[in-house]
Amino acid sequence: MSRCRFYTIVAALGLIGLIGVTPSPAVGQAPKSGGALNVMLREDLPQGFAIHETSTISVVWPSMPCFNNLVLFDPLKPTESLDTIVGELAEKWSWQDNYRNLVFFLRKDVKWHDGKPFTSRDVKFTFDMLREAPDAPAKLRINPRKDWYANVEGIEAPDPHTVIFRLKRPQPSLLALLASGYTPVYAAHVPPAQYRTTCVGTGPFKVKEWRKGEFVEYVKNPDYFVKGRPYLDGLRYVVIKERGTRTAALQAGQLDVAFPGETTKTAGEQLKKAVPQLVVTTVGTNVNDNIIMNIKKPPFDNPKVRLAVSYAIDRRALVQAVHQGGGAVGASLAPRPYGVWGLLEKDLLALPGYGKAEDMKARARKLLAEAGITAQNPLRVEMVTRAIAIYVDMASFVINELKQVGIEAALKQIETAQWHAMATRGDYQIGANLTGLGVDDPDGNFYENYACGSPRNYSQYCSEEVMKMVDQQSQELDPKKRLALVHAIQKKLEQDAARPMLDWRMDYFTVWPHVKNLVPHHNIYNFGRMQEVWSDK
Amino acid sequence: MASWILGCAMATRPIGAEIALGEPVAAAGPRGLGSTLARFARKKPLGAAGGVLMLLIVLTAIFAEVMATHDPIATDAFHTLARPNGEHWLGSDHLGRDIYSRIVHGARVSLIVGLASTLLGSVLGGIIGLLSGYVGGKTDLISQRLLDILQGLPLLVLALILTASLGPSVENVIIAISIPIIPRAARVIRSSVLSIREMQYVEAARAIGIPHLRIAFRHILPNTMGPFIVLCTAQLGSAILVEAALSFLGLGVPEPYPSWGRMLSVSAAEYAQKAPHLVLFPGFAISLAVFGSNLLGDALRDTLDPRLRGA
Amino acid sequence: MKTYIAQRLGIAVLTLVGMSIVIFVLLRLAPGDIVDILFAAAAYVDPAARTEIMRELGLDKPIWAQYLDWMRQIFSGDLGKSYRYDLPAWDIIRPLIPVTVELAVLATILSVLLGVPTGVISAVKQDTTLDYALRVVSLAGLSMPSFWLGMVIILGLVAWLGWIPPMTYVGPGEDFKLHAIQFLLPALAVGYRSSALLMRITRSAVLEVMREDYIRTAWAKGQSGRVVIWRHALKNAILPVVTVIGIEFAFLIGGLVVTETVFNLPGVARFLVEAILWRDYPVVQNLVMFIAVVVILSNLVVDLLYGVLDPRVRYGD
Repeated sequence: MSRCRFYTIVAALGLIGLIGVTPSPAVGQAPKSGGALNVMLREDLPQGFAIHETSTISVVWPSMPCFNNLVLFDPLKPTESLDTIVGELAEKWSWQDNYRNLVFFLRKDVKWHDGKPFTSRDVKFTFDMLREAPDAPAKLRINPRKDWYANVEGIEAPDPHTVIFRLKRPQPSLLALLASGYTPVYAAHVPPAQYRTTCVGTGPFKVKEWRKGEFVEYVKNPDYFVKGRPYLDGLRYVVIKERGTRTAALQAGQLDVAFPGETTKTAGEQLKKAVPQLVVTTVGTNVNDNIIMNIKKPPFDNPKVRLAVSYAIDRRALVQAVHQGGGAVGASLAPRPYGVWGLLEKDLLALPGYGKAEDMKARARKLLAEAGITAQNPLRVEMVTRAIAIYVDMASFVINELKQVGIEAALKQIETAQWHAMATRGDYQIGANLTGLGVDDPDGNFYENYACGSPRNYSQYCSEEVMKMVDQQSQELDPKKRLALVHAIQKKLEQDAARPMLDWRMDYFTVWPHVKNLVPHHNIYNFGRMQEVWSDK
Repeated sequence: MASWILGCAMATRPIGAEIALGEPVAAAGPRGLGSTLARFARKKPLGAAGGVLMLLIVLTAIFAEVMATHDPIATDAFHTLARPNGEHWLGSDHLGRDIYSRIVHGARVSLIVGLASTLLGSVLGGIIGLLSGYVGGKTDLISQRLLDILQGLPLLVLALILTASLGPSVENVIIAISIPIIPRAARVIRSSVLSIREMQYVEAARAIGIPHLRIAFRHILPNTMGPFIVLCTAQLGSAILVEAALSFLGLGVPEPYPSWGRMLSVSAAEYAQKAPHLVLFPGFAISLAVFGSNLLGDALRDTLDPRLRGA
Repeated sequence: MKTYIAQRLGIAVLTLVGMSIVIFVLLRLAPGDIVDILFAAAAYVDPAARTEIMRELGLDKPIWAQYLDWMRQIFSGDLGKSYRYDLPAWDIIRPLIPVTVELAVLATILSVLLGVPTGVISAVKQDTTLDYALRVVSLAGLSMPSFWLGMVIILGLVAWLGWIPPMTYVGPGEDFKLHAIQFLLPALAVGYRSSALLMRITRSAVLEVMREDYIRTAWAKGQSGRVVIWRHALKNAILPVVTVIGIEFAFLIGGLVVTETVFNLPGVARFLVEAILWRDYPVVQNLVMFIAVVVILSNLVVDLLYGVLDPRVRYGD
């Protein structure tokens, strides 16, 4: 073979190899610019775009396109973890001093939607406000995630494009908390109250109009700092309160994208059957069903009774009965593959409520008998739940299970307006609850829901031993050791039956096939940025 | 009872002089219940049909446990959204609950709520109307204004605000639906009382010295029975509809009582493509109940007081 | 006549004041207020923040003080600020009113077009099969929950045509055809019910009139049936029909609440439900008073029309 020919062949092979190896965009097509999408909203925004003053998907989902975070979970990866974090307003970041200082190097080419430049001052403003620093220039009317920043000692902005978070002790999770849809950066020159009516952000889309009760309309931000993004020209989030009507709208094509967490397994199957070209993706939501028990009051101050309740409820039967199979069993952190901290299957089986139903119920009856409760002398309690169908269905099933072991629970429905106040006050005995977690992270979860004195620790559970372990894992830098600690904590929590976990809800996220690159995460709160989404229409 | 009602209702025709003083209004003679009903059925076939329908529904409500095939709140995860079949006569819902049994038990809830609120509202309103119409003068004026206030609001809006205020429970829903009925009942009874009050036998009774209260309750009241019954049947229909609307909006009868209105809210429409029976059957149930009560009410009104036709 | 109107207006004002007190108190009876709902949206309760917000919204004052504030606001033309949206209540309500009014008017027109002719036919052909059939059909209309009818329409459309009417408001200027479709279907759903009522009223009114002596005289004189009916009977039957139309227009609100919800129309009725659930006192109070004013005024108009249409009725003499 002549040398010339040889090199040609090698070059040809190399070219073929290169083409084969070059990563192509998601579906093998080149993204197109242009087009607009209609996205489902199940209710009007409760407090406008004020993400920092609320904890509901109804604000986060329609507001995310307007904002940017310092960092965000990679939009294209469904499973979130510290390894999938990418930069948004922060170009680079680095942990220093053994994870005690977090330094962010900010982008230099970012403008707010009103034209003013973005600087480190905005970051310091936002997070000083969030952690309620004594010299914070502004205050939030309601600050539900203040505890996320309990470990932040100070924030410095030495120059317009550098921010340093100084922590009291090492906390690798802080980065995960900052990557959630719940942690956008507010503008320092905008009063926080204004976010309840309009949105001034740096994000890929600008708010064109918010017609109250009807829709939120976005247009592309022409000065967005990521060149070539967003692909879409506009977005419209349409409010349809009536469940049947909004499913019909999705089916008829008036909506292109469903609302995260709203499509049950049955609904997804029905949609797919009616319109086979719809794309239905099964994802986790990071929302769990759980039982809260007031451990400060009888009868649930008795740990045996609590444990019995946990044993009595057949988790897998619940998933089948209440969600028609659209749920996953797990302990206090989302199970794999939806989360990275979940207990392994073999550990789960050893927990109350996960084994064979008859054995579990027998154990429950035994425990109750030790507390003097039998079929002849049943325990009568009142179970509270929110007056919403998804809660009530779940509570009804639980009541049925408890009946079989000698606990007679009467259902009391509490209106939304009173639920949190009642639960925080501890004005109940036992309740069927739903908890949505903004991040799949032990710090984000344990401090909020199990720490002594935390307002959302509805059970008022307080265990020094567990809190020590929580603090320990929060500072643990070795991922393997940390995982082991987190597993141990989850097992202990289920054994103490402070807040028995029932299951983790799944979503059958549905979009029309022309919607590309909208990758749902196993967490409804973090994939709404819409930056990478394009429309093939 | 029925013949007494029909009998005294017939006495509301303007024949006042025939009614002896001191006696309660005479029954329709020794004709007997059976033949009265037979006559009614012959003259008003539609009304009779309505009556039979209502009777069926009442019986269903009373004997719900016997007529139902399943426990209405028992879920069955393996037979969700089943089409009507041998096991589930009207199919099953998204949690596997038997729709037929839920409709049967729902009859009880809808009827209880409908009847209780109608009776409560009509009786209270009737008493107010009776006293207001009989006493007249300032009392009448003031109570009319108060009733105006209540009546100024559409039924559903007032019921909405009341259920939001009082919270979700069967008792509160009954109260919430009965309150808007009060002014309407009071109006009807009052106008009936006004026309009776002027009759000669009442004047005569006063002249003799029979105390007011006795006149009001022994002479006037029985003669308002006709309009009262008509009013009740008319309001029963709208009470059932309002309860359904409230449940649909989420403010009505709470779990675990199966309510026809709530069966239509939330999940029914969502799964309607796969299981249209979820939406159709409860709606039919509501419509049938109201239809029957309307038919019966119409016929009763035609029989009891032709002058009220068209009200 | 003038004194009559003045009298009625005076009474109306008194009634409205009474209603304002009733509404005010009823609303505040409801457990939970806007602050609780704001905390619910935050899934979090903080007593210190609660006191702050109560003070900011003026909810910490005693009830009578709040009522006087509200009255003062109304007389100075200020309809208050929505607790939920932080914007003047009137700004939020204003664009919703035309939608509801249009729907109500359309529904009423449809119900008259459907109800009156069928009522006349039914009366003329009394006790025939046609009469029975029409009566059953119209009674069915009165018996069906209007939200159910709406739901069945939408679900039927999506199942058979794969299409539903637009879910966001399309103004008449933007696309008239789409706008018409968007409003006709819910107007039909609501109107069917009203048409049933009108049909029955018309029927019985025409029947009443047909029995009158002068009608029989006209027949005896040999005037053709149709002339008799249309000229004499209908003219005198108009009265109760107009009364009912007037009353029904006000009662339409109830049907509109659910219909606007099902068809996703941005109207005042649907918004009222939202505001009640949100304990948005300023919005609810003002909306309810607005509805009350409409109801009272329409009653007054109907009564006056009565006076105009029926020479036997005269006021103020």
